[in-house]
Amino acid sequence: MPPWVDFEPFIVSGLALGGVYALSGVGLVVLYRATGVLYLAFGAIGALGALIAWSLTTRAGAPGWAGWLVCVAVAGAVTLGYGLLFGPALARRDPLIKAVATIGLTLILYGVMDLLWTTSGGQARSLTLPTDNGGFTVAQIQVTWTQVIALAAGVVLTVGTGTFLRFTKLGTAMRAMANDRDITATLGVPVRRVEAAAWLGCGILGGIAGLLLADLVALDATTLTFLVISSLAAVLIARLRSITVTFVAAIVIGLLHDLLTPIASLTSYRDMTPFVIAAIGLLVLSRHQVMTQSREEA
Amino acid sequence: MIEVDGLTVRYGGVTSLDAMSLTFEQGTCGLIGPNGAGKTTFFNVLSGFVRPAAGAVRAFGVDLLSMAHYRRARWGVRRTFQTEQAIEELSVFDNVAMVHEHSRLGGASRRADVLDAITFTGLDADPETKVRTLGAGQRRLVEVARAVVGRPRLVLLDEPAAGLPDEETSHLAEVIRRIPEHTGALAILVDHDMSLVSACCATTAVLDFGKLIASGPTAAVLRDDAVIRAYLGVA
Amino acid sequence: MSGTVRATLERASPARIARRPTRPQLIKASVTTVLLLFAFFALPELLSLYYIDTMTQVAVYSMVTLALGLLVGRVGLFSLGQAAVLAIGAWAAARLLFATTQPYPLVLLEAGLITMVAGLLIGLPALRLRGLYLALITLMLAGSITVVLATVNFPNGGHGFLGYNGGLLHIPPIRRPSIAASDPAYYRFSVVIAIVMFALVLAHIKTKPGRAWAAIRQSEPAALAAGINIWFYKLWAFALASFITGVAGGVLAGAIHYLYSINFPTQDSITLLAVTLMGGVFSLWGAVVAGLLYQFLPALLNNWGVSADWLIILFGLGVLQVLTTAPAGLADQVPRDLRRLGHLLGTRIRRFRRGPGGDGA
Repeated sequence: MPPWVDFEPFIVSGLALGGVYALSGVGLVVLYRATGVLYLAFGAIGALGALIAWSLTTRAGAPGWAGWLVCVAVAGAVTLGYGLLFGPALARRDPLIKAVATIGLTLILYGVMDLLWTTSGGQARSLTLPTDNGGFTVAQIQVTWTQVIALAAGVVLTVGTGTFLRFTKLGTAMRAMANDRDITATLGVPVRRVEAAAWLGCGILGGIAGLLLADLVALDATTLTFLVISSLAAVLIARLRSITVTFVAAIVIGLLHDLLTPIASLTSYRDMTPFVIAAIGLLVLSRHQVMTQSREEA
Repeated sequence: MIEVDGLTVRYGGVTSLDAMSLTFEQGTCGLIGPNGAGKTTFFNVLSGFVRPAAGAVRAFGVDLLSMAHYRRARWGVRRTFQTEQAIEELSVFDNVAMVHEHSRLGGASRRADVLDAITFTGLDADPETKVRTLGAGQRRLVEVARAVVGRPRLVLLDEPAAGLPDEETSHLAEVIRRIPEHTGALAILVDHDMSLVSACCATTAVLDFGKLIASGPTAAVLRDDAVIRAYLGVA
Repeated sequence: MSGTVRATLERASPARIARRPTRPQLIKASVTTVLLLFAFFALPELLSLYYIDTMTQVAVYSMVTLALGLLVGRVGLFSLGQAAVLAIGAWAAARLLFATTQPYPLVLLEAGLITMVAGLLIGLPALRLRGLYLALITLMLAGSITVVLATVNFPNGGHGFLGYNGGLLHIPPIRRPSIAASDPAYYRFSVVIAIVMFALVLAHIKTKPGRAWAAIRQSEPAALAAGINIWFYKLWAFALASFITGVAGGVLAGAIHYLYSINFPTQDSITLLAVTLMGGVFSLWGAVVAGLLYQFLPALLNNWGVSADWLIILFGLGVLQVLTTAPAGLADQVPRDLRRLGHLLGTRIRRFRRGPGGDGA
């Protein structure tokens, strides 16, 4: 077991990673609660946005902030577009079918990204944010501003979304729709508009998460697309319901993943962390009942 | 004989069945009551889909509630549903055979038993046809055949005549009336069609808001003031 | 006694459940036999080695999509991790092929059984979950398996349980059956194995488990009311699908000779699900269509210098199309469309033959 001081930098990086997972997880949960769709393409749109931002800044010479804006805008637009095009057609179907449909979107995006930004040829791309350079030291641990932003974004968005859902009209409408879309419609709530807001919001969060993960982890289409699985793990433990549980689970997953890095015997298995936690969590939680999708209880 | 003792079922804040105690003697028994009275809930308890909060059911001397749901069908509980559930992609023969092969009976008698059940219902269709090509009335008969094949002990019929025209309903009434004598099982019929209930059932019980409000010979029960009030509401 | 039921009783012998095949069934059986004979005898003579290798891969992945189709179509279980199951089968076969001198078919059987046991171990706790959660847990478990395999690697002739020697300079190729060592011969071998797997599934569908699966898929309450132990039959489907995928993994091992974890990436599971949905989960031919989509089209495009990414995009669109419009997939839709086309052509030809001055024209 390595000495404590070896773990210290990983506490910070783990918290930052967990922060982004939390940010992603909250986006996934809110969209699911409003529309019944588990947006598996979340990672892919973030990857697409990040790659576009990279091309704009390194190839077209655009300023950094323009790239980030475009990234978030593209992620939001693609997500909103998908929601408007395919949401109604699948609205009455099982959540499982709706989720598998987003796998279709994932494949399309993945194909497009591999076509336009091929990885073969060994050129590693990287996305750096200006906040990578500055930072401070806490108890002899280096912390960059990016890491602070990542964790802060996770916290702020969790608290903010919770407040939004509880205290605003739009938020209450979303909670009502999670319960029963048709009844909510009969109450005069503009269901389509609320759904559109949920899709757009989720897409924007995807863009932000894509930027942060591209910086913290890697700017690679495959990695970023499938990193959504770590957020999925957190969301599953929260049973697609509680934002707070999602946040806590996401932080734990991020921390545990990075903390395993200095342990020689376990380090090559650390990518298993989200999978194992999710699997154990699901199986433990389903001990007493047969779990059905919360929106479609028989 | 089925003895129900103090059966109580609760869903959240609603009490669907409230300490229901009743004995079904033999033959075909009716179970009626306004919508939401708890009739389908009662069937769900017998089928094993719902766990009661309290109470016991003894069927032919066996404690029914202690059996796992799929085992009850094997033991002899058969059921039809309000929305008919014959398996569309299978043939009539396969639909009925499926129930037979999951019961206690062996394969030797299967073909004969299945064809016997189909004949009993008077279904006039080739047993090899796929159910999806059949009309509503025929599908109901397939369901009844599934319920009577082999050696059923308890046949639960949940609104089998719903949506059927008159002549198909009267044919169904004939079939249902003969179930106990043909199979030796006890049949319980839930329906809103009073003429159907009068035609098939010697005795009838009435539920309202989960409570038993009357039971006895069908003709007398249908004239009972309490029953009429339950259906029409108090002025 | 009703007339048609009496006729059925008189037609059949009391001793066995005999069903006389109908004309469409006979036509279907003859077409299938002709195609299989063509695939076995003629195809290797007509194709170049590049395409023979491709068709071997088609045979392998048709078995995988067969297993996936069984899970999705018959039992409603969307497995998002079938590539990981394939990897387990390939791993087991490779280990046995290096460690023993058993004949290849026996190794395939053992690899299938080992994978089946793994599938059961996963299925036992996992099948308590339903729908979306079950699909996601297959994703999680597959992810775990992928990470483990990336670390322990595939057997390459080394010793010990894992059979991997990181320091080997000349890695021995995984052997093939002695009678099927050449590429065309190994292709024929894989076709035979695939036929056996398809026959195994057919045998299930036509008998008791098939009926139970049909009931479970349409309505679980009705299945329960018929006395079907739903959990048991779902587990059976899981076990059968794992067995078949394991055997496919074994055939894959001999086909490509060297196994690496990059042969089984996460996106493969998703693409496999996509092509399975597109091919159609309710028919056995759908599995073959899916195998062709998955391996033949990319090889074709590769040969023409077109990027296979276009296919990924196509598969994504295909998933969306299937889920929003044609739940039964291409294998159901294409014959239906062809029949409609045939009918349309038939009426046009008849009208043409009647010509001007014919009745009412």
